[in-house]
Amino acid sequence: MNRFDVIVVGGGINSLITASLLGKAGKKVVVLEARDQVGGLASTTEFAPGFRCNIINDTLKWIDPRVMKDLNLEANGLALIQPEVVQVTLSENGEHISFNRDPRLTAASIANFSQKDAKSWPAFIEYIEKLAQFLERLYQLTPPELPNIGLSEILPMRLMLGPAFKHGTRGLVDLMRVAPMMMPELVDEWFENELVRSAISMAGINHLSFGPFAAGTGYNLLHQHVHGKGVFHNTQFVKGGTGELAQVLASVAGSNNVEIRTGSKVKSIDVENGRCNGISLTGGESIQADRIVSGLDPKNTFMNLVGTSNLNPNFHTQLNNIRYRGSTARVHFALNKLPEINGILQDQMKTVFSVGPSIEYQERASDSVKYGTIAENPTIEFTIPSLINHEFAPGGKHVLSATVQYAPYHLRDQVWSSKLNEQLKNNVVRVLDNYIPDFSSLIETTSVLSPKDLENEFGLTEGNLNHGEMTLDQFFFMRPTMSTAQYKSPIENLYLCGPGTHPGGGLHGTNGFNSAREILKG
Amino acid sequence: MPGVKKYDAIVIGGGHNGLTAAAYLSRAGKKVLVLERRYILGGAAVTEEIFPGFKFSVCSYVVSLMKPNVMRELMLPKFGLELLPLESTFTPLDNDYLLRTADADQTYREIARHSLRDAEAYTRFGPLMGQIGMAVRPILETIAPNPIRPSLSDLSKTKKLLDHFKTLSSEQFEYLTKLMTMSSADFLDEWFEYEPLKASMAASGIIGTFMGPRSPGSAYVMLHHYMGDIDGAFRAWGFQRGGTGAVSMAIARSAEYFGADIMTEAPVEKVIVKNGKAVGVALENGDEYKSDIVISGLDPKLSFLKMVDESDLPSDFVTDIKNFRIRGSSGKVNLALDGLPNFTCLPGDGHHLRGAISISPSYDHLEKAYDDAKYGNFSKEPYMDIILPSVLDPDMAPPGKHVMSCFVQYAPYDIKGGWNDQKREAFGDAVINTIARFAPNIKDIILHRQVLTPADLESTFGLTEGNIFHGELSLQQLFTMRPAVKWADYTTPIKNYFRCGSGTHPGGGITGSPGEMAAKKILGIWS
Amino acid sequence: MSYENQFTAHTQLKLSPFFKRTSKLNESQEWRRWSGFLAATNYELHHENEYFAIRTKAALLDITPLKKYIIEGPDSQRFLNRLVTRNISICKVGQVMYTPWCDEEGKVIDDGTVQRLSENKFRITSAEPNLNWIQHNATGMDLTVRDDSVSTAALALQGPNSRDILNEVASDSLDSLKFFWMMDTTFGDISVSISRTGYTGDLGYEIWMDPKDAIAVWDLLLDKGKSFGITPTGLQALDIARIEAGLILLDVDYVSSRHALIESRKSSPYELGLGWAVKMKKKDFIGKAALEAEVVRGPEWDFVGIEIQWHELEKHFRKAGLAPGLPSTAWRTSTPLYKGSKQVGYATSGAWSPILKRYIALAHVKSEYADEGSELMFELKVEHYRKLTPAKVVKTPFFDPERKRSCLA
Repeated sequence: MNRFDVIVVGGGINSLITASLLGKAGKKVVVLEARDQVGGLASTTEFAPGFRCNIINDTLKWIDPRVMKDLNLEANGLALIQPEVVQVTLSENGEHISFNRDPRLTAASIANFSQKDAKSWPAFIEYIEKLAQFLERLYQLTPPELPNIGLSEILPMRLMLGPAFKHGTRGLVDLMRVAPMMMPELVDEWFENELVRSAISMAGINHLSFGPFAAGTGYNLLHQHVHGKGVFHNTQFVKGGTGELAQVLASVAGSNNVEIRTGSKVKSIDVENGRCNGISLTGGESIQADRIVSGLDPKNTFMNLVGTSNLNPNFHTQLNNIRYRGSTARVHFALNKLPEINGILQDQMKTVFSVGPSIEYQERASDSVKYGTIAENPTIEFTIPSLINHEFAPGGKHVLSATVQYAPYHLRDQVWSSKLNEQLKNNVVRVLDNYIPDFSSLIETTSVLSPKDLENEFGLTEGNLNHGEMTLDQFFFMRPTMSTAQYKSPIENLYLCGPGTHPGGGLHGTNGFNSAREILKG
Repeated sequence: MPGVKKYDAIVIGGGHNGLTAAAYLSRAGKKVLVLERRYILGGAAVTEEIFPGFKFSVCSYVVSLMKPNVMRELMLPKFGLELLPLESTFTPLDNDYLLRTADADQTYREIARHSLRDAEAYTRFGPLMGQIGMAVRPILETIAPNPIRPSLSDLSKTKKLLDHFKTLSSEQFEYLTKLMTMSSADFLDEWFEYEPLKASMAASGIIGTFMGPRSPGSAYVMLHHYMGDIDGAFRAWGFQRGGTGAVSMAIARSAEYFGADIMTEAPVEKVIVKNGKAVGVALENGDEYKSDIVISGLDPKLSFLKMVDESDLPSDFVTDIKNFRIRGSSGKVNLALDGLPNFTCLPGDGHHLRGAISISPSYDHLEKAYDDAKYGNFSKEPYMDIILPSVLDPDMAPPGKHVMSCFVQYAPYDIKGGWNDQKREAFGDAVINTIARFAPNIKDIILHRQVLTPADLESTFGLTEGNIFHGELSLQQLFTMRPAVKWADYTTPIKNYFRCGSGTHPGGGITGSPGEMAAKKILGIWS
Repeated sequence: MSYENQFTAHTQLKLSPFFKRTSKLNESQEWRRWSGFLAATNYELHHENEYFAIRTKAALLDITPLKKYIIEGPDSQRFLNRLVTRNISICKVGQVMYTPWCDEEGKVIDDGTVQRLSENKFRITSAEPNLNWIQHNATGMDLTVRDDSVSTAALALQGPNSRDILNEVASDSLDSLKFFWMMDTTFGDISVSISRTGYTGDLGYEIWMDPKDAIAVWDLLLDKGKSFGITPTGLQALDIARIEAGLILLDVDYVSSRHALIESRKSSPYELGLGWAVKMKKKDFIGKAALEAEVVRGPEWDFVGIEIQWHELEKHFRKAGLAPGLPSTAWRTSTPLYKGSKQVGYATSGAWSPILKRYIALAHVKSEYADEGSELMFELKVEHYRKLTPAKVVKTPFFDPERKRSCLA
């Protein structure tokens, strides 16, 4: 029967979470995924014969504890690997800083560069943790409808009081101080050594189209450290690959009677008189439901599926003004053997490596976005997932996956093509050659995903992994627009649950959780 | 006799805010002494005859944000305040130009020449920004509450502001949020398509900041520049007859009229602090003056790290002040000219020379200028806001001659290798070459040139790092955080020591606002 | 007196293609700005003759400054149906419809006419620039939008003799052209479109042409129209005529919601007396939901005609020792209307109607006081002193001659 309580469009992490929670509440739910597997950005695939990779995310920064608990993910088979060394920041001369789960070890590593900075470290992570705790609470909220905020919107905000009691209002003031900061401003207050400073700055520019000199990178840094429990650059791997997270969620959804249909591309969300009650698939089939939830980004949801002629003009303007501007690319290398990394021992390699050895280096890389070119010397974060999950590569061989900034979606006077993908790859190889001796000679095959490829493959508008930039003007009650920040939309019965909503991107599931709560309310 | 005479209040620094505070306090019957280090009053709002016959508003060069109530209450027109309108904004391009004038129809047609859509959008944009400017005014006019240990009056102030925000339409609230957080380029991209128009408008979002038009946060500075009003008309820019120094002189005369004593060439060495209380000041020459309170018109760095001993301040406060960002990014080039510049794109004399001339042909021009500064150099092709004061006020130059004021960005204080004479001249050359790109005759008509780098602004005018706003106008340095949390209400951790400069809420520009609000706060405490 | 005026404008204002002629005819040299164009206020020193040309002969007005947009493509009908409040699907080729359009809050942005030039081609006229609004809402539709404001010149020929003049000039007869319909024809070898529309409430036509033909058309009309009393007419005469016809004017009688800085300045079509032009049976259009809600709620305001009662008005003047003195031109200053001591509305424009011999005005009145016959008090200034004088809500148009709609054939 083609009639459901709820249709969830898209089969990404948040969609699966919303679907499961709604299924658990007794709703009859169907999930429609265009690709042949669910998971969206949490997908693992074979990119060359025998070589597998996590297409987008090798690691999880954090997962919403409410999701973990309510959907019982651990019991359902989600196995997270929490490495002792969470990140290693490389420098060109072979020295490096190891960020550890244990801050004392991190401080010790920093001490090789600056005693003073090592001393500042514990206070710094305490400071960040304090601010992150405020954000954690804020993330659990449904943003209020401003400016006409009433008591009913203020009451849930009392959640914020917990950390306020603990840290005083000074903590809240500090949050308001740090969130709009740019990276040099933040690190100037704490650290002197450039490698330390640049290592911190990397968190501020993660997946952003801006460089470290942009105000608001403070907020992006804090976003990476929510639920980080005081671990800076927190990193978790999923056993079996990031795609396993999606598999576990899919099976949880199944056990909550959610029907999942892959290979089902939604052509339109059908709207009449400002209200929707079903969707049409590209195959021609129509499905009806009381409510539709979209895990796609706002542009895909409203402009493409609902259609601009069904949007009121002001909402249409707001949608036009959401900034996506993907500028992160992924490059996967199939290697004929385990690479050596200057200054790193073989047993220290099950972690994330970052290359962006000075703030100026990072900023110069980001300048390319402004002028619509590919960064000549990009910042890179890479992992060797085949060390964590051995099935990722044939015996003795390995995979190196790199997240590369900046490769802007909007190029000037040229368009993304295989030639440019090649150029991007060459830039990455040239940079990595400085850190991995003879890196180019190890490469068997390469797979490059530019923002344009990400758009084509995953339907990400402008290839933005966060379904909209993580900037302060697209934060909280402004995400994705002022009129849709409560997970509902001006189209009656149409809801949102993707990373385009509060609190933004990452494989944490908070959007899906909050969205399900709102849908069950209405 | 020095050391004996007792004042109710001593103001350190005879800048326009210090003078404003002094005038307000005197007007309330207090005995006030103003101490200025230089031979001349005005601080950065000063007119000097640098070359015989040529008068320059040496630093600050236009008046837009001066509060009308300050003008009225201090009777400034009586003491010489005369603001002439700046008619237009002229953006020369290589083969064309953009000229925005006071006439809405004319501006519509001029913009329509480049983009019909933009011309239409422009008619909506100005009024909307005006509305938002008006919406923010209550914040600007509120003494910043203390969010850490709020008093009853702080709470009621906060409630009033919250209530005010509830009266905004959701469209206004949305745009206000965007203006507080976005880059001016992103904000303007939502409205316009014609690049020279966008770049010229974005330029007001980078003035005095260490940001490019694409840097988040610059939209707020743009709004800050929309908040000025002259004769009730929002965003009307004015030129003071006789240069901006005449504004300072008008305030000084007003202060004297109300009974203030003003001394020039009287550099203060230290604030005398006894038992955690300010009791007077000591001059560099050893003279001491006693008073009930001391008010510093200097920037936060000088006020706390130089004028008093760190040991008299709480250590977390010292950290906050040290962390206060005050990077200078602009320079000033003042030219004495033998005639008028002749722009290739619009030759001869005309309306376009009676207003601001904005060297901002594209975002890239501004952004590349910023790139140079980001990496420690002055801009090879800088952004400039130029005016020709002698066109508006012939007394500024000898007959037939002209003065030209070029506000230039970027010139970072922390230039690689530090500023020296050679670099100053190279910077001056970059400015002239950039102007010559649009007005080639400039090189032939220069009689004299004065180049001021941020280092010069610091040494001459006491602006730390040459920052014209006494501290950057970034979101985390505004309102309750300017210059530090708990101390944004013009008080300081030292009893009877107050502040009134641009480094306090609501920030920089020739507004008189910090001076006025500080005086009102002080009078409130006194009564 | 007749003399050749040599005026040439060195102005940054735009000049219409008729300017070469109008500038020489404009004896008063009184000009107004209209959409950035220099437009004649009146040609003679007093507008009276021009006004009576509209009502008794034929008046020729340069209306080129109107904003015009061409919308063309397979989706144009669908688009216009979404944009405006009237039902465009019943507008036949060659037909013209007057309509307002709204924002999504149901507040009027502008009003104008929609001409259906062919199955998939329309021209829409407006008072203010509307290009951004049209383009924004046309996103994703299969059509093109072109600003036709300067690429088409236009004249209005209004008055009882207008048809006779056009029949002299045009190669086709206008006898069967119905009210709010249009036709293509030629004046000699010049192609023009003629619509039976206007802003006077009288028999009248608007002639649409290529600007290069402007002077030739003008000369032809003036030449052939001479014996019919054709009179170049300025905006002052038009203003009186349009008030008599009960036609609203943007920025005088209402503010576009795109430019209104505060909510209370905005008006819905119901509040402008344009309820008849809102077609709720249409599937969807911009502002429909808000307007539906307003219908349920009942509009707060109404837009009505009022007549200031002559007898009492005269008494006020008599008391001051004067004969009634009214401005000879239409006024546009907002004037309060009271019920008892309470202000219940305001008149936005008014005039002494020379043809009706009545003092009339257009007014916003709170709905409960807006019924026909409702008696209000109108604020009047007599010799520097404010007086209140009775006014009555009456039906508009104040002036509505049979000839406006009738056809000969």
